[in-house]
Amino acid sequence: MGKKILEVGYGSVEKVKIGDRLPLVFIGGPCAIENREHAFMMAEEIGKICRRVGISWIYKSCFDKDCRSSPDSFHGIGMHEGLCVLADIRDEFGIPVISDFSDPAWGAPTGEVCDMVQVPAYLCRQTSMLRAAAQTGRPIHLKKGQFMSPWNMKNSVRKIEAAGNHQVLLADRGTFFGYNMLVNDMTSFPIMAATGYPVCFDATHSIQLPTSMGNISGGQREFIPHLVRAAVACGVNALFMETHNDPDNALSDANTVLDLKYLENILGQAKDVHEMRLELLDKYGEDNVHPEK
Amino acid sequence: MSTLKSNLLVSDVMMSLDRAPVIGETVIFKEALEEMVSKHLGIACIVNAQNKLLGILTDGDVRRMLLRVQKPFSAFFVDDALEHAVQSPLTIAPSDTLVHAVHLMDEKHIWDLPVVDATGVLVSLLHLHPAVEALLGIED
Repeated sequence: MGKKILEVGYGSVEKVKIGDRLPLVFIGGPCAIENREHAFMMAEEIGKICRRVGISWIYKSCFDKDCRSSPDSFHGIGMHEGLCVLADIRDEFGIPVISDFSDPAWGAPTGEVCDMVQVPAYLCRQTSMLRAAAQTGRPIHLKKGQFMSPWNMKNSVRKIEAAGNHQVLLADRGTFFGYNMLVNDMTSFPIMAATGYPVCFDATHSIQLPTSMGNISGGQREFIPHLVRAAVACGVNALFMETHNDPDNALSDANTVLDLKYLENILGQAKDVHEMRLELLDKYGEDNVHPEK
Repeated sequence: MSTLKSNLLVSDVMMSLDRAPVIGETVIFKEALEEMVSKHLGIACIVNAQNKLLGILTDGDVRRMLLRVQKPFSAFFVDDALEHAVQSPLTIAPSDTLVHAVHLMDEKHIWDLPVVDATGVLVSLLHLHPAVEALLGIED
């Protein structure tokens, strides 16, 4: 897997390192910042779970949801208010935070507050978005578009590098399989890791059924544990899961977010599988089946 | 009738570098093929930022890869050319004799030789046809 190591966290927050043989990192939180109280409550609760499991984490929540299926869906609390909430979560809990942004003009303010910036999967090949992300100077969480091959993500990586940023985390969040359906190709991890950068599995978006319910997306949460174990065994460096205390009433991605009550179980398994993989590599050696040579 | 010009050196015949297919180390395989096509030669020389020769990719390498590589073309095309290159290629010096260079090309069944200086920096490329023409005293 990718050998480059990212360090996420500026100022006084915990520095979270991602990559190579370092411990698995969790990136999670509610899909959207719903309100200040909820955001703080989620940071508090997820933080407790991560401490019990013994896993470093980055708080993720977005201020604007520009890819909603319906004009009537919750669009977010707005950039200014959302970034204020994220800044306060950093200060209060001492953890790094991440949000995506959907407009190149939002890149700079997002990067001023967030320790890591995220490029949405649907926008993963837009040059202006990638340049804006790169220019924040922050590590970038770049999600593979559902329509992209894993090898073509190299082009997006090159765009980021051309803009002077060499800190990328590449994520798989599923690939379109016909209409309204996603599948995970586990070979995407070694293929994207061949760029040298660490890789991440976005479990909760992978079980999404995009816009399968007319004007909103569905999801099959029951597959989250299976896919998490498989992806971590494959060697990902980070695990991404959107999490909510009350999924039925979540303002965004209600059909895919993981209920908070399951988080500890899944994170515990993920951490154990990750450690077991490293033990297996020590015992049996690095993977050595090479193609056509 | 022409007379064999056995005293000629590689430096007398080698082409100017701007006519040779030369690519950087992060250029992808598909762009390497385009460079070879545009320069009408069956070789691409891969160099680093200091112009040091890192490897070569030839028509023969490409043929062998087409029979061997199992991944989709779209994935193959985006690989770094260097990944599929011969990384310790046969080279020649500008001060070597042309006769020696042509013998070498015959022995190895190759059409082109990268010309490098003592530090491994690519200075030119020698193609078989101009070399043979020069040895035979055939003017362009």
